[in-house]
Amino acid sequence: MKNSQIAIIIAIAVLIGYTLVRLGNSSTYSSFSDATALNGEKTTVIGYLDLEESMDFNPKTVQFAFTARDKKGNSSRVIYNQPKPQDFERSEEITMTGYATDSAFIATDILMKCPSKYNEQNEVDSDKIYK
Amino acid sequence: MEYVGEHLWAANLGRGLTALAFTMALLSTVAYYLKGDDWKSLGRIAFRVHAISLFGLIGTLFFIMANHYFEFDYVWKHTSLDLPARYLFSAFWEGQEGSFLLWMFWNAVLGYILTYSAKAFEGPVVGVFAAVQAFLVSMILGVYVGDMHIGYSPFILVRELQDNIGLPWTQFSDYLTRFPNFADGSGLNPLLQNYWMTIHPPTLFLGFASTLVPFSYAIAGLLRKDYKSWINSALIWSFFSVGILGVGILMGGAWAYEALSFGGFWAWDPVENTSLVPWLTMAAGAHLLLVQRNKGGVIPSALFMLILTFLLVLYSTFLTRSGVLGDSSVHAFVDLGLSGQLLIYLLFFTIGSIALLLFRYKGLPKKEKEDRMDSREFWMFIGALTLLISGLQITLSTSYPVFNQLFGPEGFIHLYDQDKVLSDPIEHYNAIQVPFAIIIVLLIGVGQFLSYHRTSTKMFFQRQILTLVLTTVLTGLSAWALSMWNPMYILLLWTSYYAIVGNLEFLIRWAKGSWNVAGSTVAHVGFGLIIAGALVSNANKDIISQNKTFIHEEFPANENLLIHQGDTVQMGDYWVSWTGQEEEGYYLNYVLEFFKEQGDKLVSTFDLKPRIQLNERMGNVAEPSTKHFIGRDIYTHVTYADLRTMEEKGEEEWKNEFDLELSQGESHFLYGKYQVQLDTMVVEAPGRSEGGFDYAVLGAGLKVTTMEDSVFKVMPIYAVQGDEASHVDAEIESLGLKFRFERINYETNKPVITASEHVEAEEPFILVKAEVFPWINLLWLGSILMAIGTVIAMVTRIRRS
Repeated sequence: MKNSQIAIIIAIAVLIGYTLVRLGNSSTYSSFSDATALNGEKTTVIGYLDLEESMDFNPKTVQFAFTARDKKGNSSRVIYNQPKPQDFERSEEITMTGYATDSAFIATDILMKCPSKYNEQNEVDSDKIYK
Repeated sequence: MEYVGEHLWAANLGRGLTALAFTMALLSTVAYYLKGDDWKSLGRIAFRVHAISLFGLIGTLFFIMANHYFEFDYVWKHTSLDLPARYLFSAFWEGQEGSFLLWMFWNAVLGYILTYSAKAFEGPVVGVFAAVQAFLVSMILGVYVGDMHIGYSPFILVRELQDNIGLPWTQFSDYLTRFPNFADGSGLNPLLQNYWMTIHPPTLFLGFASTLVPFSYAIAGLLRKDYKSWINSALIWSFFSVGILGVGILMGGAWAYEALSFGGFWAWDPVENTSLVPWLTMAAGAHLLLVQRNKGGVIPSALFMLILTFLLVLYSTFLTRSGVLGDSSVHAFVDLGLSGQLLIYLLFFTIGSIALLLFRYKGLPKKEKEDRMDSREFWMFIGALTLLISGLQITLSTSYPVFNQLFGPEGFIHLYDQDKVLSDPIEHYNAIQVPFAIIIVLLIGVGQFLSYHRTSTKMFFQRQILTLVLTTVLTGLSAWALSMWNPMYILLLWTSYYAIVGNLEFLIRWAKGSWNVAGSTVAHVGFGLIIAGALVSNANKDIISQNKTFIHEEFPANENLLIHQGDTVQMGDYWVSWTGQEEEGYYLNYVLEFFKEQGDKLVSTFDLKPRIQLNERMGNVAEPSTKHFIGRDIYTHVTYADLRTMEEKGEEEWKNEFDLELSQGESHFLYGKYQVQLDTMVVEAPGRSEGGFDYAVLGAGLKVTTMEDSVFKVMPIYAVQGDEASHVDAEIESLGLKFRFERINYETNKPVITASEHVEAEEPFILVKAEVFPWINLLWLGSILMAIGTVIAMVTRIRRS
């Protein structure tokens, strides 16, 4: 067999092997109840901020706590040991990576989706006119 | 109805030019496709008219933006009256429409050049350009066919927006002057108001546009069944592409590192990944063309790689502009509803080019004789293959959101119930890409000591003894100095040093500085430096703001340091003090003074000013400030600051009101800082003995002890006469404390004392995160060398041909 053919076969094998390995251990977006069932394993939950519950940031200990509701409607207290992201209140959706504990979901990473991102519309307020 | 004050001529001109550019691109495609000299000259004329009308339409858009015609949606969205003129370019390509125009602009420029330089290949090469341009112009056509819209025009008026049609305000012919909304635009996002936004997108888009040239040559070759005469032209263009695209990507990294608080120059964000992948495959394609020119036999893989590169650029466009990435990227474009059109664009070229390649595959010239294992071409081929696999891995992992849309819970083919996601992308990519990087830099080093056809074993080893010794010594020293003992990292460090030293030695000692190899060796040294710099600065990144006293077993060590104004705290080897803040336009700069210990004195060494951009549109954003040394960078950003002004904090100077109920002798701990004790009670009530009294004056003698054991004594007074009560408050000015004798609680018979704290007594503080990136300058030096090397290589190639 030709050398280059062997190389190509090895390369394809690496890629297939990689894909199989990845399929096995890629995580999925889960809900808070899934996260609890995972027993402290790392997972990612997409949810929304519950504005009716309190949102506390203690700058002295750098701990930010809020309540989020996942897509299935379960709500959970979330603790994030990083400074409160700017404009957190305005977020439309929050992607939280972390693990569940008895008392709260501990987020190690938070990604927010903001509604106004680059996309402000000129909404003309007809009541607001000159003179 | 005639509207007053609109610049309809500009709208008509812009839309007319768009339509002209579109039809001319179509005409040029068809004309170039048909055979014959007349058709060819028609195609050429059509392409040039297309290019000129495109330039005209870009000029028109610039004009209406520069003159702030706010009746145009694009102008209103991206400019404002106070936008400095130097940011006009940034504003131009801030939106999807403008960035499409930027891409088309470069395509038109390159295509225009090719109408002169492509000579015999002009027909198919420029023809492909025209077809691509037709698709791209359709993205900004803004035409409705029934309910379906084709493209989104930058010349649409606000009143013509789908959402606004029929609204009451559009019934006023003088709406522009009647409604204050049109007096000023919403402006360029302040986040993008910096010089990087002026230089990064044009470079990157020139890089994207340049991948079309080798692609067109490949298609032209396949159409004509000519696999020889275009190789040299395609070779020069593909190295041009590698150079420009590489510089564009690295500029993005430099921007992220210098001006954004992402915490580094590379974050494996989908937007970054999808621009890196075409670079990897283009580098592979360019090297295969080299093999083809010097030795031959790799036409099928070279064609595949050049075609794939352009398709990956299209895929990248699709990912970043269709809204698919939504959840997983921080900087994708907003969805304009063009995903269907983008998909057609992607599929047309994918199916067309792959089908053409398969159709012609049988007739492609193949290898007559197998490459020897000791030949340069064999290992270059392996290198190209490694680049391809590396690129495919990144593409697969970045495509999770696409797989989710296809096979996920709401997908076309329902394969799994829950969307899949990478839980730690950075770790994931680093772990998989490090071995690929090891192979690549190793091959870059080895390659210079190999010859085409076959290599003499004796010479191969003899020539690199010095390199091997030097590399090993350097690696050992570096690993020891940085105490970096991860075997994978040491291997990567050794291989990148090997690439650097090997190429330098080859250039100086064996090639005697010949210009013929200078380009490639300098570029390869640059690449080695980039990998070494990225490895060392990332693997040995040190978060010096780590607060080692606050660690809980479940919580990550706190990476942010709290600094009170005027206080001096330790941070790594430094002592840092926050001296104050300055306002500068949109920015609040926080002045951090860094001190170094010298003997038992602290010596001020430098200042850093990390800042917060007050951005009403996007939310406030922290921007880092970095101190650059040769061997390391100190990178800081403010992660928390109280941005409220004195007014927002409240007009009241006193806050934190707290009620104390004390009996005599009892004490209470207040605000975590003071011990308050009710020392004595003084009562004066004349006539009390007669059973009633005219008035009563009560004084509460308080003893306040601070943490430093200073004692203050005060007496707030409470007076009652009939129904009226009055108070004389007691203040301790030096502590910023106030006490009011509020009333007597008749149930407990205890006095109620309200304590409050002066607003200024609460010391302002900020949280700062600081990281040290060692030897990150290797990365930047490498980037510059790679760019210089590419330019030298191109110039020498053009001279030779």
